[in-house]
Amino acid sequence: MFAIEKLILWIPALPLLAALITALLGPKFLRSTCHIPAIIGIGASFLFSLLLLTEVRREQYAAPAGGFERIVPVWTWANLDGAYEFAEGAQPPHSVPLRIDVVMRIDALTSMMLCMVTFVATLVAIFAAGYMHGDRGYWRFFSYVSLFVFSMTMLVSVSNFVLLFVFWEAVGVCSYLLIGFWYEKPEAAAAGKKAFLVNRVGDFGFALALFLIWTTYGTLDFHDRGDPASGVSDSADVAAVDTVSGSPSVVARVAAPPVVGGVAAPGARSETVGVLGKSRIASGGYVGGALGFAICALLLLGACGKSAQFPLHVWLPDAMEGPTPVSALIHAATMVTAGVYMVARCTPLFMASPDAQVLVSCVGGFTALLAGLIALTQWDLKRVLAYSTVSQLGFMFLGLGTGTLAGITAGMFHLFTHAFFKAVLFLGAGSVMHAMGNVIDMRRFGGLRRIMPITYGTFLIGSLALAGVPPLAGFWSKDAVLGAVHDKLHAYEHQFELRQAQGGPVSSEMTEPGHSPMGGLGALTDGQLMCGIQAYGWLYYAATLTAFLTAFYTFRAFLLTFHGAERVPHEAHGHAHESPASMTFPLMVLAAAACVVGLFFDQTYNSSLPSGQRHSFAAFLASAPQLAAGLVGQTPALDAFHLSVAASSVLVAMAGIGLAMYLYLGDTREVRVLASLFNLDGFVQALDVRRVFAWRWVLALDGAARRAGLGSVVTALGYLLGGVLIIVSAPLLVGMYLSPYRLSQRKFYFDELYDWAIVRPLRGVSALLASADRWLIDSLVNLLGAVPAAAGAVLRRLQSGLVPFYALAMLLAILLLLASQL
Amino acid sequence: MPEASQQLFNYLIVGGLVFALGMIGFIARRNLIVMFLCAEMMLQGVSISLVGWGRYHDRLGGQMLVLFMIAVAACEAGIALALIVMLYQKSGKLDVAFWQGVREEGRAAFVDRNVPIEREQEDHWPRLTPAGIEPTLDEEAPLHRSRV
Repeated sequence: MFAIEKLILWIPALPLLAALITALLGPKFLRSTCHIPAIIGIGASFLFSLLLLTEVRREQYAAPAGGFERIVPVWTWANLDGAYEFAEGAQPPHSVPLRIDVVMRIDALTSMMLCMVTFVATLVAIFAAGYMHGDRGYWRFFSYVSLFVFSMTMLVSVSNFVLLFVFWEAVGVCSYLLIGFWYEKPEAAAAGKKAFLVNRVGDFGFALALFLIWTTYGTLDFHDRGDPASGVSDSADVAAVDTVSGSPSVVARVAAPPVVGGVAAPGARSETVGVLGKSRIASGGYVGGALGFAICALLLLGACGKSAQFPLHVWLPDAMEGPTPVSALIHAATMVTAGVYMVARCTPLFMASPDAQVLVSCVGGFTALLAGLIALTQWDLKRVLAYSTVSQLGFMFLGLGTGTLAGITAGMFHLFTHAFFKAVLFLGAGSVMHAMGNVIDMRRFGGLRRIMPITYGTFLIGSLALAGVPPLAGFWSKDAVLGAVHDKLHAYEHQFELRQAQGGPVSSEMTEPGHSPMGGLGALTDGQLMCGIQAYGWLYYAATLTAFLTAFYTFRAFLLTFHGAERVPHEAHGHAHESPASMTFPLMVLAAAACVVGLFFDQTYNSSLPSGQRHSFAAFLASAPQLAAGLVGQTPALDAFHLSVAASSVLVAMAGIGLAMYLYLGDTREVRVLASLFNLDGFVQALDVRRVFAWRWVLALDGAARRAGLGSVVTALGYLLGGVLIIVSAPLLVGMYLSPYRLSQRKFYFDELYDWAIVRPLRGVSALLASADRWLIDSLVNLLGAVPAAAGAVLRRLQSGLVPFYALAMLLAILLLLASQL
Repeated sequence: MPEASQQLFNYLIVGGLVFALGMIGFIARRNLIVMFLCAEMMLQGVSISLVGWGRYHDRLGGQMLVLFMIAVAACEAGIALALIVMLYQKSGKLDVAFWQGVREEGRAAFVDRNVPIEREQEDHWPRLTPAGIEPTLDEEAPLHRSRV
């Protein structure tokens, strides 16, 4: 059979090899065949990933409780003895080495992500071979894409926080390079810079989180070092940390002297226990409280940067300046899901801090709603899809934040299905752009369904999947997320009622069996419980509203593009046509995948299947150690099919689609009425003082009054009127700039807000510092440099070039020296 | 004063005189050949003092060193005279003030305002080897004496 330890190394190695070949040979030899190494490399990587997936599936049945994972050490990057001193409260005080191993891991989460990434990347590479044909930077494009696939596959398969950070940055660099791919275009260069800088904010949080993890747990490895097959339980070494009163001093007990067997070497104590290792998960050695919350919140900040969540979501829509295949691959399907992957991987850390989980859910739900509202009014097809991506990523975070196994797998399932249908939609948009001569404004084209039948069909499937129409992929995953939130809310309410009945906090035995004390609701305080009920309640309705908005804006874009009167911009030069086969083939494959993945993996509706096999995707993911070992709440069961939730979400999706069809099919007069209504046009007009006060009439009155000798009265009236006008015009301004339509159209003014609050002050400070540097520091240095020049100007006069003069100077100097010796 | 010291003293006086004469000549004269001769004279002054010290210490180190010096000075004389001949062939001048090229850029050249009037009958040129070409005098700028 295939050695999975070899496979996991080949999967990232092949795209890296393709990137190197393309970069070295591309400009000189390969030229217009640069796509071949990339497609072969990434395609082979996909096949290996599939093999890996099947092997993992086979192995996980034989795996012991606690889930299946395989650790593949490659080499040791750094090993510093005594890098950190656990001084306070440690028994005895000891130091831990900073050891960074380049270690790959194989488990369900990794193999799932690998398959998804390489599958989408292969199809996007094939698509790009047609889309980018004839571009000057053809080799550059495929080199970057291969490099990205290498970085992304490494990102999901390393087993160390430092390496996760390294490849986190590597995918960021690839994203930057590809957003600014057409760097001659100022917008593209600016968008690349913006993406990079906004991501720095997130990465700052991520780095701080790593520092905190290091000082708290004394290691940055995910796994337990040592022989994983030997099954040595280090739980004796690991202190069961009280999650409520968790503090660093308690954690320091992790380093208790070794007691296992008496043969354990003195050095092999706590360093074998990884942050996310099985033994720590089994013993629940996680820090809660403020420290745990800080770690989780900072990790979340990093995830927000990469996955474009609320405070840091502004870069993703601008990233659409890059080539469309890049938008499909990096900014829809893969890289932006790195944050979701990271939060899912760090599930044990988040389990220790219920507040952080609520925060994750709130950020996700709020972002989903915000981006959905913005997407309603955008005219740029790719930008609609970009906001839709932000919104769907919000859904994923919403699922992860529930902290139940069903919720986390639902979030990951949404990640999985979203990759397919969003890739279809983006590639479809690319196909449209290709035919329309790079025009992407939906006002300038329409009715393309006859010109581009294949793009039309695949885009329709993608839209239906995104809108959440059964039985397409998006329905199952979105329904799972909604159901998980619903169940979480229900569980909280149930717990609250129990407490009301008992008149006090319920002890942990009262909660459902299968819960560790950490994950259980019994550990929550009443305040946390109330807060959670509030938050999840709101989030459920916000998510349902977002589902409606999603259906509406998706079909708005779809109908504007493909239905209505046939309109083609002049940039298409009159020969708008269906795209070549290399572009339609990936579209069809992805559309087919978007049709079946939901139905195939999620068969919760099928009660004839035995329990535990109905949701094969979630059951597979649940074998990842971070999700397996009883840490995550197991209720509700994965097999639950929420009929009421499903029915409501289908109803909502249908309502959204129906509304879009009513508004955008045929006469679009209603759209204009609605737009003016939401733009508060009537309100603005009613308050338009120019109509109320015709100036001629006012002036005539004024003249008459003055002639009658009432000048002072008129002046007083004028001031009064002026004051009234100022008061009246305030809501007028609000109506003009802050009407719902304007807010949505201008993206809630986030760009302007950040520009005024952050960018401009920073620019001002840096301009100040630059001038200080130029005038103060530089002039000091120049002054110093002027001293030798001035001395030279004096001494220069001595250089006469006359030999007798030099001889005399020598003589006099020698005499001087002699005289000084006397 | 003992005999040996007296003897050393005489040597040093003679050597010092020869050295001083050479030095004065080197500074005061402008003819390249004369300057070279003066430099050699300074060398000989040093040689005399070395010989004197050698005798004073009753060791032959000083004398030996002087022999080396004579040999080296002969080589040096060959090179220096060859250079002087080359310079003369290039410009027809032996005046050291003619070669002021190493002065600071932009600085005005030294011009000797006190050129003595030369008598007509004395303008015969040094006899060079047959291969030498008789240089023509730069009539435009008689800033340097043809003979020094």
